[in-house]
Amino acid sequence: MRPIHKWVWGDFDRRVRKLLLFAEVETDGGRDILRAAELTSDPLLRRLYLEHAIDELHHGDLFRQRGSALLRTRSTHDRTLFNGSPLPGGHGLDDLHVENEPDHRLLAFLHVAEKAAADRFAIYRDVVDDDPPTRAIFEEILRDEVFHMNYTYTQLARMSPRSYKRQVWRARASRLWKRYLRAAAGVAGLLGAVSLTVVYFVVLPPFAWLARRAERRERDGWIPISRDRRDSPTSQY
Amino acid sequence: MKILGISAHYHDSAAALVVDGVPVCAVQEERLSRRKNDATFPAGAIEWCLDRAGVDAVDLDAVVFYERSMLKLDRILTSALRAFPRSWRSFPNAIKNSLGEKVWVRGIISSYLGVPRSRILFTDHHIAHAAAAFFTAPTRRAAMLKADGVGEWATLTAGRGERRDDGTADITLHREIRFPHSLGMLYSTFTAYLGFAVNEDEYKVMGLAAYGRPTMIDRVRRLIQRTPDGGFVLVPEYFEYQTTASRSFSSKFVDLFGPARQAYDPIELETDEGRRFADCAASVQRVLEDTLVDIARALHEETGLADLCFSGGVALNGVANARILAESGFERVFVPPAPGDAGCALGAALYADRIYFHNADRDVPDHPFWGPPVDSAELARAAREDGHDIEELDETALIEQIADDLAAGRIVGWMDGASEFGPRALGHRSILAAPHSREMRDRLNRDIKNREEFRPFAPVTPAGTADRYFELPSGGARLARFMSGVFAVRPEWQSELAAVTHVDGTARLQALEHDMAPRLHTLLEAYGRRSGIPVLLNTSFNVAGEPIVNRAVEGYSTFRRCGIDVLVADRTVVRKHASPPARPLKERVP
Repeated sequence: MRPIHKWVWGDFDRRVRKLLLFAEVETDGGRDILRAAELTSDPLLRRLYLEHAIDELHHGDLFRQRGSALLRTRSTHDRTLFNGSPLPGGHGLDDLHVENEPDHRLLAFLHVAEKAAADRFAIYRDVVDDDPPTRAIFEEILRDEVFHMNYTYTQLARMSPRSYKRQVWRARASRLWKRYLRAAAGVAGLLGAVSLTVVYFVVLPPFAWLARRAERRERDGWIPISRDRRDSPTSQY
Repeated sequence: MKILGISAHYHDSAAALVVDGVPVCAVQEERLSRRKNDATFPAGAIEWCLDRAGVDAVDLDAVVFYERSMLKLDRILTSALRAFPRSWRSFPNAIKNSLGEKVWVRGIISSYLGVPRSRILFTDHHIAHAAAAFFTAPTRRAAMLKADGVGEWATLTAGRGERRDDGTADITLHREIRFPHSLGMLYSTFTAYLGFAVNEDEYKVMGLAAYGRPTMIDRVRRLIQRTPDGGFVLVPEYFEYQTTASRSFSSKFVDLFGPARQAYDPIELETDEGRRFADCAASVQRVLEDTLVDIARALHEETGLADLCFSGGVALNGVANARILAESGFERVFVPPAPGDAGCALGAALYADRIYFHNADRDVPDHPFWGPPVDSAELARAAREDGHDIEELDETALIEQIADDLAAGRIVGWMDGASEFGPRALGHRSILAAPHSREMRDRLNRDIKNREEFRPFAPVTPAGTADRYFELPSGGARLARFMSGVFAVRPEWQSELAAVTHVDGTARLQALEHDMAPRLHTLLEAYGRRSGIPVLLNTSFNVAGEPIVNRAVEGYSTFRRCGIDVLVADRTVVRKHASPPARPLKERVP
């Protein structure tokens, strides 16, 4: 996979986009962990979650600053990187609903997620050796990830001394399952998009012609509102 | 009669409960889910409202959704058809989006709450806006103006509302301007062009506008043309929002205004590029204001009424609101505390009560505090477990001590009673600070809010003394009640109020009546006795990208990770340690 990563990070625009995307993901992840800190009844966990959340939010800032700095050196300012309006998105912890997770399950999940992130960031650090500031960011983050991996594991063992290993395996399985669901949803979305595009070009043209003809008859400016429209409280039309 | 109002699926979903004609509670989903601008079905907000009022869902007389979802689908489909074949990319997404959840809202509500489908009602989106403004305003009759991005089809509506002597009330919207012609979308297009997030960062455009000169007005006027009947049309070739959700402006727009700003580029106002963006913001702001003032003036002449109820997302533009008050002829302008889509949840419930069920009109308490109350015991427990010293003070000691803190330059996180309904912190979930120096503004921006330098902070002052420091026109104090207007700071006070005076010498003032937030009002007076100026900087209690805090633990976690010095929840006070713990937690915990 390393050559692929090298290729991905080798392109300037992709590098910037990746960094800014990581910024959003880390920030969102930080907010999720912050939420966990607000919800847990365990004082030590609250402090640790808070520390962890602050780290993640800081990582988000680091990625954002680096992405922005690279963006400023970008020569092709005539076209925007994100095609105008939307900022890169993506929810941090796999759309995790922290409210619904007991501490032991959350800790197991965090441990597995942090380990996976650390593995990935270690590869990214190695493939951006031509870019020392970006490399330095990955190094700093990797140091934090060690703390995150360790505390989640030791606290999991404290919270759930009999079954902590099983919890970790369950978290790994759950991660795989979510990955499968994401892929399946992606495929379903693609098939849906293809079908709807076919419908668009095959079925819609006559209706489009009618809609445009009707549009020409519409008046500009103010349009009177019919008095009886509001007298249908149960209608969705 | 118990009526639940719901807004959802676009942005700012919310729920509100009206019992016997009076609101009991209302809350935005984001305050509970902690996801900013949460647009999902507001299950948490509904649950909280029902719990708070002790009402079982099956006992609800009606559940009212704030818009007609099939009419909205009609607009989406028609827009796609009109843009054929350019809309081919956005069509699948638009359909999947609509058919996924939005059009099944009756079934979703019914299955979630277990209420019969016959009890689920709908209002027009703009009627819900109108009801949120009129039924909560202390006025007998008023002209109505509603402006937002888009509801079903309407983007701007005008009409009137009336409370009759027989106890009934009515709202009638006479006319509308329809999508794609929209003042809200015009402003949002510039929001996107300037690299900000649409439906969220429009206020940044307003803040940036003060740094620019409206040198591009002629260019903006090429995008929006007035019609002989006093309305307007947007010239479609400059926009793409009607054909795709991924981009608001067209290449022709870029040809006219120059390259768009990248979302992550800083705005450097000393550069030509930075000034161009500021001028762009100033120009669209001026055109928006001129158009709104013109439409409001015509409405005033037509209705002859003294009061105007103005709502919809565009009514969050405090500069435009102040100009409407000053120039349209209306004596009072009522903007509700939640003029955006969240407020429609309350509006829909009130409308159903007064109009669908013909119940007598009831006075609605004139405040925004319909959300969850703060639990100071929660703060005390968390802070104590973390080794902080807790103080439980009586009312007088609390006020005196916090006033001392503020006078000493400390920043205070202030949580008091029920949270606000709407996007403004109006004294129950606020960060308070001394308003006198630019250093305080910079400190807040740097250590707490992490936001752009060009964005101003707002002042709060007792309504009785507001006129001394701010140039309030007649009716200004009313507009400033919910921080809905931007007014000039009197020149002689600008240097004393440097942290809250924007670059153009204005401020988005909150003029506070004692009855609305007595504790904050008393604090302002106590602070005034110390500093000579009973004005405080009042900004929302959150950090960038997060919703305003709701529970005490959320205030506490914000306090722990940013530069707030003192945290208050009702009468419980927590202070930052003078020095940090000897060894960081990372080193102490394996």
